Parts: sequence; C-alpha cells; structure tokens
Amino acid sequence: MKRRKIRPKRLFGAAITYLIILAVCFVFLFPILWLVLASFSKTGSIYSFRGFFPTEYSFDSFVKLFTDTEMYNYPRWFLNTLFIALMSSLFGTTLTILTAYCMSRFRFKSRKALMKTTLILGMFPSFMTMTAVYILMTQFNLINQRWGLILIYSAGAPMGYLTQKGFFDTISISIDEAARIDGATNFQIFMRITLPLAAPMIVYTLLSSFVWPWSDFILPKLLLKNKDLYTVAVGLMALDNTEFSRFAAGSVFIAVPIVIFYFALSKFLINGLSAGAVKQ
Amino acid sequence: MEDRKENVARKLGRGFRATLEKIKNFFLSLPARIKQKLAGAKEILTQGNGKVAASMVVMGLGQLLYRQWAKGILYLLAQLAFLAYFILKGAGDLIGFFTLGTHESNAWYGVEGDNSVIMMLMGILAIIALIFYFVIYLANVKDAYKIQCAVDTMKSPASFKKELSSLLGKNFHKTALALPIIGVCVFSVLPIIFMILIAFTNYGGTVVPPALVDWVGFENFTKILTLGQFAPTFFRIFGWNILWAVLSTFINYFAGLGLALLLNRKCVKGKTFWRLFPILAYAVPGFITLIAFKFMFSYGGPINQMITDAGGTAVGFLDIDAKWTARFIGLGVNAWLNIPSGMLLATGILSNVNTDLYEAARVDGASPWKQFVRITLPYVLFATMPVLISQFIANFNNFGIFYFLRGGLYMDGYFLASDTDLLINWLYNMSIDNNYYSIGAAISIIIFAVTSVISLAVYVLSPSYKQEETYQ
Repeated sequence: MKRRKIRPKRLFGAAITYLIILAVCFVFLFPILWLVLASFSKTGSIYSFRGFFPTEYSFDSFVKLFTDTEMYNYPRWFLNTLFIALMSSLFGTTLTILTAYCMSRFRFKSRKALMKTTLILGMFPSFMTMTAVYILMTQFNLINQRWGLILIYSAGAPMGYLTQKGFFDTISISIDEAARIDGATNFQIFMRITLPLAAPMIVYTLLSSFVWPWSDFILPKLLLKNKDLYTVAVGLMALDNTEFSRFAAGSVFIAVPIVIFYFALSKFLINGLSAGAVKQ
Repeated sequence: MEDRKENVARKLGRGFRATLEKIKNFFLSLPARIKQKLAGAKEILTQGNGKVAASMVVMGLGQLLYRQWAKGILYLLAQLAFLAYFILKGAGDLIGFFTLGTHESNAWYGVEGDNSVIMMLMGILAIIALIFYFVIYLANVKDAYKIQCAVDTMKSPASFKKELSSLLGKNFHKTALALPIIGVCVFSVLPIIFMILIAFTNYGGTVVPPALVDWVGFENFTKILTLGQFAPTFFRIFGWNILWAVLSTFINYFAGLGLALLLNRKCVKGKTFWRLFPILAYAVPGFITLIAFKFMFSYGGPINQMITDAGGTAVGFLDIDAKWTARFIGLGVNAWLNIPSGMLLATGILSNVNTDLYEAARVDGASPWKQFVRITLPYVLFATMPVLISQFIANFNNFGIFYFLRGGLYMDGYFLASDTDLLINWLYNMSIDNNYYSIGAAISIIIFAVTSVISLAVYVLSPSYKQEETYQ
C-alpha cells in the first residue's frame, strides 16, 4: 500500500527534474547551435535571418572565409594562431616538465624558497601587470612580433608546474636508483626513464598549454597591432558588425579542435578540478 | 586563458592556507636560521686561512693559489666583468634609477635627453646585477673555504671537470631550472616590480619619453582617491565592482551546485549525456561566446528582430543608457560561461560525500531540503572554500565580459569608463588606450590590495580554516 502512495509523487518529481534538465541543456546548447547554423547561412548577413536562424543554408561562409582575404585574412590569422600556440606549447611544456621534474626529484637548498616564491607570484594575477608588460614589450621592441607572445606564454608556463609535479611524485624512485647504481647520470635517467614514463602527462601538458594561446585574446590584442599578425581572436574581434556569418564560420572552425579536446578529457577534467579543490 | 585561469585559481586557493602557515613558520624559524647563517659566516671568518682571505679580496685568487686554475680564472673573470660593468655602466644606471634622468631632450638644439623609462629598467637591472654579484661572491668565498677544508683533511679537492659533469648528474636541477627561472624572472617578476615602481612615478599622459619622468611618492593614490577627475569614477566603479563580484560569484556557485545536484539525482538516466551540454559550453573559447552574445543582443540581432516582427520597437539592450539591462545581461552571460566549470567541480566533490550520512538522515526522517542544508551544503562549502575565493577574485577582475559586451564606451559622470566597467576595464582604458600609465599601475595595486584583503578575511573566517580536521 505504502509503495503505491509514493509512486505518483516520485514520477512527478522525476518529470520536474527532467523538465529542468531539458531547459538547462537547451540554454547551454542554443547559442552554440545558433552559431553553428549561422555559419552555414547562405546570404551571410544577420539581417536575412528569420528570427534566430538563417532561411537558406550553404557552405558559402566557409568558402568566403578562406578565399575572400582582402579585408579579413582569416587563413593568415589562423596560421599565426597555430604558429604561436604550437611554439608556446612546445617551449612551455619543455620548461614545465623540467621544472616539475626537478621540484619532484631533487631536494636542494633553495627548493622550498622557490616553491614559496611561485606561490606568491601566483597571487599576482597576470592581467594586473598588463600595463607593465605592454611598456616592457615596447622597450624590448617585441610589440608586433609573434615571438614576443611566444616568449610570454612559454615563460609563464612553468608557474603551473604543480599538476606535473604531482604526477612525477607518483613515479617510483626505485627505478631511478637502480639506474643510478648502473652508472646513469641524472640527465640520462631523465631522458631515458622518466620522460617515457611521463608520456601521458606530457601529452596533457602539451594540449593544455596549446589551448591557452589558442583561445587567449588579451595578450594578442595588447601586443599585435599589425593586421597581418593578428591571431584569430583579435581578427574576429575586429570584424565588422555585418559580417556575422563570417564570424560564426571562423569561430566554428577554431572552436572545433578545442571542443574535441575537452570532450576527450572530460573525465580527467572532473577528477582534476575536484582533486585540486579537495587536496590542500 | 580559461585553462590557465583555472589553474591559477586552484593554486591560489590551495595556496592560502599553505601561505598563512608558511608565513607563521617563517617568522618562528627566523631567529634560528639567522643564528645558523651567522655561525657559518663566523666559521669561515675565523677558520679560513690566508688563501680564503685572498678570495675575499679578489674573487678567484684563493682558488688560483690552490692551483684550481679553471675555477680561479672563471671567478676572476666574473670579478673583472662585474667591475667593468659597474664602473662603465652599472653605477650610472643605479644613480639614474633614483633621478630618472636629468637632461631633457631638446629637438630644437638637437640635444638627445635621457629616457626615463629605459633608465628605470636599467636601474632595476643594475640592482639585480648587484644582487647576482653578491651571490657569486659568497659562492666564491664558500668554495675557497671548501677547498681549504679538503686540503686540510688531505683529500684532493674536486676537479673542475668533475664539477662540470655534476651539472648533468648530482646538480642536474641547477642546469634544468636555470632557464625556467630566468624566464619567470623576466616575464613575471620584472613586470610586477616595474608596475609597482611605475605607480610611484608620474609616467603617463603628457609625461612620456622624451619628457622626463619623476618619482612622486604616493601622489597617484591620493589623486585616485581625492581628485575630482578620478575620485568619483573610482568610487562608482568600485561600488559596482564589489556588487558584481559578490552577485556573480553567488549566482555561478549555487547554480553550478544546483545543476550538479540535479544531475546527480537517482531518477536521472544518462548522466554523462546530459553533462555533455554544459561541457560543450565550457569548451568553446570564451571570446567566441562573448562576441556571439553581443551579436544576440545588438540592434540587428535576432532578439530585436523578433521584437520588431511582433510589432514592438527595438530595444538597445547594451546601449549607453541601458545601465541595469546591460548589467543583468552581463551577469547572465557570465553565469552561462562559468556555471559549467562550477558544475564539474561540484560533481567531483559530491562523489566524495559520505553516503552513510544521507542514509542516517533518511532513517531519522530528515526532509531532502534539510539533508541539503545540513549535510551537502556544509560539506561542499568546506571543500570548495578556496575555489570560491579564487572565483571571487576572478570575477572581481573579469575583464572579458564587459570589454566584449560594451567595450570602449565613455560616459558622462565617468572618466574614460562606463557604468558597467569594472576596475580592470577602467585600468585597461586608462593605461592601454589613453596612456595614463602611472594611474593605471596605482589602480592595479589597489585592486590587488582589495582582493587579497577580502579573500584573506573570508578565508580566515571560513569553516575550512577554523576547523581544519572536520572531514578528515
């Protein structure tokens, strides 16, 4: 008897839950769906849409994006972004892995001091020094240079070494010791043993230090004034208001790799985020 | 950007307790450490022989007397190089750091004047060089003493070749860390020092090189807080900035938690599938969604189109007079951007809650609401307090939202800002777009002070600090 009494109530609760979930998912999906569909609009102008969505569909926007480059040179921006992100990712990962390895494996005198310093430096948000970076870069003559950005991105990367250090901490030292008995130097151990073992972490570091320059807008906006050097972010920001489809197409094109990356790592994201929060 | 923000935020949160502890320990251990250092120095001063003393007078001399040729020559070269640098350039740079230039350029007479900014930079470099020299000098004296000890105990001191090869072996960390440390120093530490210094000069406006910049003490801060030009804008923006940070943090946090709880309900099937939608929103780069939302609310945008189609007149959602609509849209867009990460975080944390607690509560007849208030909320708050604080800081300094939605609006009653701008936007407008460098630097110091005081206070008052062991 009791069971039957609860059931309709439960069903009602479930229905409400699903309704809310559907609404929320709609809210999250809608702007993205809008963008994707707009990128396939035939006319390209936002004024020809009926309400939110285009009336006719085609690939024209994407074709235009890569062929009509006189005003808005998207292929150029894309290559710039790719170059900056790839280089920053390579250098940044190298520096981060080296830092994390040293912090995890060596007990040297200034280790604690270094760790404290990075902690304190982390409390100064990077944008706070925006003005100073801008002036410094002007003085170093690194304004309007892709290398200037790469330098900043990769030099800042080792500050986030903690995740990687945690990973190295989990690799057993006994292998290192065995190799050391056989006469290997620390450098050899690092190259031949630690690096191959840390492959998944290296991939993660490569990807995450790729994503940041790939989707950053503040630094490139600050340092790249020349239209030919724009990254996609700065370029899309400079688009005229009427070029909505072009913006949508350009966005879809640059967002897809990142979205795939996040989906591939979604499980890791949940664990990583909460691990960072609980472990203190 | 997003990823890094997350990373920094996490570190920041984790850092708070650690930093507090460390500051305490640092001061507690200070006397002992000074004593230890002094003892080491005393030992070298009293026990060191003539050759060590020679190294104290001229770097490398002691090593040469001990026939450590390569090392001795290197130290000697370092000494000579430093002396040459200091006499030819360093001393002048050091003085220049304090004067910031005395000769104003005069194009009329063809006089090339001093460039104050370069002088400040060179001054900082000279100070760094001095510190660096001091470190090498100490290493040199210690090294000479080490050789003395080795010789006294009839051991042969380590050869230069051996010490060099130790850089790949025992001292591998020195080799490996050199580059990262230099990078961080130049691109993170130098800008911070530089920015702090600029806040105490009159650099900016008409005072940019070739004009001479001067030290002005706290003038910039008093200007911001009292001068008619800046003060009203500052306090208006500051008030809104606080309100914004509190509101947006509150909304994002509880909406994220709510969503996670909703998806965690037993009756929901296909949790992974439903979670994909917020993750999708999380994955799209922030600037894309921000520009898209700007389009959505623009005059020609789809919302206005629907309004005009229905016979209404277009609404300027983000117009110059749309104070509160624009602010609410900002809050909404920010929520759209940040709820997904909040949900991911809460999901991860909820999976660690002890389920026995709920079982016990159910047996005792506690309503779901009561379970939430008494079990879930305290636990989640406890676990996420550091993240909550760093989210508050991130929201306080949320540059992107209003830069994209309304960027570049200057309003009456505001000096180079609009009524939705946050301090960070004002800082950008002032220093990057309008050359008010020193005022901008002073604002960033104020921002840093405010956010660190607030977050520290919240953290110290929070349960996660007071009862550290509750859930352990």
